[in-house]
Amino acid sequence: MSNNAITHEEAMAIFPKVAELMADALGRDVEEVKPESSLIDDLGAESIDFLDIIFRLERGFKVKIPRGKIVEEARGDLSEAEFEKAGVVTDAGLQRLKQFLNEVPAERFQSPLHVSDLPRLFTAETFCRMVIREQRAAQAQAPQTA
Amino acid sequence: MDPHSRAFTFVDRIVSFEPASHIVGRYSIPAEIAEFPQSLISEAIGQLAALAAMSAVDFKSRPVAGLAECVELLGTAQPGQTLELSAELASVDGEAVSYSGAAFVDGLPVVRLHHCVGPMVPMAEFADPDVVRGAFAASLQAPGLTGGFTGLPCLLLAPEIIEPGRCHRARWTVPASAPFFADHFPRRPVFPGSLLMHLKLQLAASLVSVLPSPDNRSRWTVRSVNDVKLRAFIPPGESLDLEATLKRHSADAATIFVQSRNNSRIIGGARIELTPALIP
Repeated sequence: MSNNAITHEEAMAIFPKVAELMADALGRDVEEVKPESSLIDDLGAESIDFLDIIFRLERGFKVKIPRGKIVEEARGDLSEAEFEKAGVVTDAGLQRLKQFLNEVPAERFQSPLHVSDLPRLFTAETFCRMVIREQRAAQAQAPQTA
Repeated sequence: MDPHSRAFTFVDRIVSFEPASHIVGRYSIPAEIAEFPQSLISEAIGQLAALAAMSAVDFKSRPVAGLAECVELLGTAQPGQTLELSAELASVDGEAVSYSGAAFVDGLPVVRLHHCVGPMVPMAEFADPDVVRGAFAASLQAPGLTGGFTGLPCLLLAPEIIEPGRCHRARWTVPASAPFFADHFPRRPVFPGSLLMHLKLQLAASLVSVLPSPDNRSRWTVRSVNDVKLRAFIPPGESLDLEATLKRHSADAATIFVQSRNNSRIIGGARIELTPALIP
């Protein structure tokens, strides 16, 4: 599913709850968490904080968020080799990322972009969109499992 | 196996095991040690869950302490007693294990862990995978393995009272060497998160000691440690600044936030919840 199918307004509808969960995980005041805040560069998140946030979002929104899903979904139909070479995102991969993470300010996409630096791009809104995608995926599967 | 390599191992025997799902184990607390604090009971539950997690990924990676939504402290265990341990894995993969668990003594729960997450790290960086695999296999067979824990080294803090009953601090330097480092972990010594929790509880106790008692028949008792997070490995010799701050205080509840830092970096944090308990 494309990130573009989720509007900014839809993401903002759940942002207050996401911001509250993120603030708890990061030991920040909720006012510090803005939709465009980079979790790493603006809010000081470390790798354990990403796990913490994912698990808080899962419990808060009753969704299952497979870890590593953002990068996998961002890659879309590009093969791993098309997406990255020797740990650096290719031009095609960068284009794909800009489309998928269209909530991320354009100036944050630097070239060359190392795959290990991808989490630096993620904003609070990125996580709102991730929750909505998983909510929709769960709804789409519901009739099959009922 | 060299007993020193089990100097910080608190699972003797795996009693039952369903891969990636459920594990039950046992640990006999040595009778000759002085104490076995609740933080080590938590460690024992975590180690049992870790065994199940490592087995699930064929011992290619191992979990380390990361997050715990709630550690309920319900009772104590004494030297010479046996801990009956159990853990339920909610999920496990190469990145993290999510689990809950409990420890019982004589059929009564003493510690419960709720919604814990341990990040998985490459096993070979921390221990020989074949040795860990072998210990796991031996633990599955009766009578299991004998522990090598000989008691905790001195972990006494000297709290500095910044504001009595409001903010207490302490500087702690992790020992450069200690028996538990040989086991935690053999290839990369790391100060155990459970011992950091032990220190934080000690600092919180210092703060509580100057709080007014709830009433003349009760005293403040730690019920749970919530939102526990360990953000970084703590190597031998590292200095930590610990701070306990009273966040909430009423007639029937108190909350203390404890944080550890290395310079400006936050290493860990937790919220300690206390309620009145009748003085026996």
